[in-house]
Amino acid sequence: MDLTFSAEENEFRDELRQWLAENHPGDEPRGDDDTTFEFRKDWQRSLYDGGWAAVQWPQEYGGRDATLMQSAIFFEEVGRTRAPLPANVLGLLLAGPTIMAWGTDEQKERYLTPILSADEIWCQGFSEPEAGSDLASVKTMAKRDGDDWVVTGQKVWTSGAQYAKWCLLVARTDPEAPKHKGLSYFLLDMDQPGVQVRPLVQITGEAEFNELFIEEARIPHENMLGGEGDGWNVALTTLMNERSGLGFFLQIRLRQLLDQLVEEAVRNGKIKDPVIAEAIGEIEARTEVTRLTAYRGLSTIEKYGQPGPEGSLTKWLWSETNQMLVQLAADVVGPEALSADSKWAYELLRARGNTLEGGTTEILKNIIAERVLGLPRK
Amino acid sequence: MRFDFTDDQQEIKRTAKEMLASRSTLELVRSAAESKAYDPDLWKELCDLGWPGVAISEEYGGGGLGVVELAGLLEEGGYALAGSPLLATTACGAAIQEAGSEQQRETWLPRLATGEATGTLAIAGELAPDAAEADVIVLIESDRSGARLLAGDQASVSAVETIDPTRRYGIVTAEESAGEEMPGDPEAALAIGALITSAELVGICQRSLDVTLEYVKDRKQFGRPVGSFQAVQHKCARMLFQTEAARSATYFAAWAADADRDRLIEGASLAKATASEAGVEVTGSAIQAHGGIGFTWEADIHWFFKRAQLDAAYLDGTKPHRRRLAALAARKVTSPA
Repeated sequence: MDLTFSAEENEFRDELRQWLAENHPGDEPRGDDDTTFEFRKDWQRSLYDGGWAAVQWPQEYGGRDATLMQSAIFFEEVGRTRAPLPANVLGLLLAGPTIMAWGTDEQKERYLTPILSADEIWCQGFSEPEAGSDLASVKTMAKRDGDDWVVTGQKVWTSGAQYAKWCLLVARTDPEAPKHKGLSYFLLDMDQPGVQVRPLVQITGEAEFNELFIEEARIPHENMLGGEGDGWNVALTTLMNERSGLGFFLQIRLRQLLDQLVEEAVRNGKIKDPVIAEAIGEIEARTEVTRLTAYRGLSTIEKYGQPGPEGSLTKWLWSETNQMLVQLAADVVGPEALSADSKWAYELLRARGNTLEGGTTEILKNIIAERVLGLPRK
Repeated sequence: MRFDFTDDQQEIKRTAKEMLASRSTLELVRSAAESKAYDPDLWKELCDLGWPGVAISEEYGGGGLGVVELAGLLEEGGYALAGSPLLATTACGAAIQEAGSEQQRETWLPRLATGEATGTLAIAGELAPDAAEADVIVLIESDRSGARLLAGDQASVSAVETIDPTRRYGIVTAEESAGEEMPGDPEAALAIGALITSAELVGICQRSLDVTLEYVKDRKQFGRPVGSFQAVQHKCARMLFQTEAARSATYFAAWAADADRDRLIEGASLAKATASEAGVEVTGSAIQAHGGIGFTWEADIHWFFKRAQLDAAYLDGTKPHRRRLAALAARKVTSPA
C-alpha cells in the first residue's frame, strides 16, 4: 500500500500547478448564463492552447496520454484553484471518447479537434420524458430517407443544448426489434430548423438543462456512430465515461465548501455546540472517505483493468455527503443560509440535483444490487 | 499512488483467511461462545505464525512488518469472528511501541511478540477485551491525560460478562501509584488500537454482508428469492456502501500509521468513527434482512452483531471520534499549514 504519488504523478501535478498559476482565468463572472458560457469557452481555449484540454485523451488526438491517476490529479487541481470546468465538458468527457471508440477514421478526423478547442460544443441527447432511467425505452424515431435519416422525438435534461453545435443522439431505427436492439446512435447537427431548444428552469432559478424538440430533423447516414442497431452498446461507452474524472473535481469542491462551513462555525462559535461539532465531524469523515474511496477505485482499475465494488460508490457517497453538508449550513450559518441569492441557499437547492443527475441514487442502488452483489432480478 | 495491498500483503491476508476458514468456522465460534472459552490451540497456532508480533519491530523480537499487515490480519480475524486475545495483545504491543519508554519496550515487546505474554489496552473504567487474563495492561486515564503500564497483578480487573460471548471483557482500574508512567502521547497509544479495531469491524461487516447475500438469494417468499425485492436489494447496497466506507478509512489509517505519522491520530479517528457506525448498522441490517430467523439464537448472524457492538464501543465509538475530527478540522482552518 502506498498512498503517496509517484515521481511522474508529482511531476505532472507540478507542471499543471505552474501552468494554472500563470493561466488561471480568475473568478467566474456572476451573471447570466451566456456570460458564464463565454468565460468557460475562453477558459477551454486557453487550456487547449496549453495542451491541457483533455489530458486523458491519447496524444495522437491532442491529449497527453494521462493515466487515470494523472487525470484525477488534473481535475483535483482545477477544482483546487477554483477554476471552472471547460465549456465543452460533455464533448471532452463523453463525445470524444465515444467517437474514439466507435468512430470511423473520417469521423475522428472531423470531430475530435473542434471538441478539444471548444469550437464545437456538444450535448447529450439520451433521456426522454418517458425514458429517464430506463434508457432502452427511447421513443425518438429515425427513419431512413435516401442518404439521410429523418428524426422526430423529444429529449430532456440536455445540458448545454443552447450552446451546442452537435448532439449525441440515441434514436430508435427499428421499432420491430426488441427494445435494446432497435436503437442507433447519431451525431445530430443542432443547427437546423427541425431542432428546437427550450430551457428547463430548475429549482435554483437557473437553466442548466433543456428540452429538445426534434421535428423531422435530418442526419446524413455518415453521421451514424457505430452500425445500425448498435445504439445501446455505443451509449454504454458514453455512460461508462461519464463519471470518472469529474468526480475528483466535485469532491474538491465538496472539501472547499466544508472548509468554509467549518470556518463559519469557528467564527460564530457554533463549533462549541457538541451537536454541531458531531455533525461537522460526520461530514468531515464522509468527505474524506469519498476522496479515499475514489482513489481506491482508481487503484483497483489500474491493477485489475476493471472497477471493484468500491467503484460504484463514489457518486453515491459524494452526492449524499454534499446534501448533508448544505443542509447543516442552514443550522450553522443562520438566516443568510436561507436568504435568496446567498451562496449557501444556492448550494442547498442545487444539491438536490446531485442524487438525480447522472443516474438517481435509487437506480445506482439497483445497479449495485444486481451487478456488484449479484442479487437476482426476479 | 497504490491504494491497495501489495502482492505480499495480499498473500498474508489470503493465507490468514484460508487458515481461519477452517480453524474458526461458525460451528467452532458457536461452541466457543456457548462454552465461553477460547480454543487454546487456535491462539497457539496464531502465535506460531507470528501474528501477535507482526507489527512489532525486529529489534524487539517482532516480525518487523507494518500496521497495514496487522490490520489485514485483524480484518480476517473479524471476518472469521475468531476468538483469541489477538486484538487485545496487538493493541497493547502497539501502544507500548508508540508511547512506552525504551525499558518498557525492552521488557514487554519481545514477550508480546511471541504471544508468550498477552496484554490489553484499556481506558480506565471502560470495557477492554481480554483484560482479566492479561499479563500486561496499558491503561489510559479516562480524560486521556496520561498512560500507565501495569503488570497484570498491579491492576484490578473486574471481569464483565457482556452481550458478546465470543470474547472476554473486563473493566480495568488501578491505584494511582500502581504501575509505571508511560512517557509518550496517550492519543498515539490509543490510535493504533482504534484503527486495528476498525479493521476487525471491516471484516465483521464484510462477513455479515456475505452471509446476508447468501441468505437472501436462497430464501424464497411469494415464489421468488427475497433478494429480488428492491427493498431488500437497497438495504444490501447500503451495507456495501458502509462496509467500503469503513474499509477506505481503515486502510488509510493503517497506511498513515506506517508511512505518514502526522496523520495517524486523524486517520484513527476517521477509521473508528466510520467503522463503528458501519459495524453496528451493517450487522443490524444483516439481522433485519434475515427476517425472523435473524432474531433467533439458532442463526449465526447475532454473533457478528454482538461483537460489532463491543468493538464499536471499544476505544470510543462513532460520536466522540466525530467530535475529535471536528476539533481537528477547526484547528486546521484557524491555523492553515
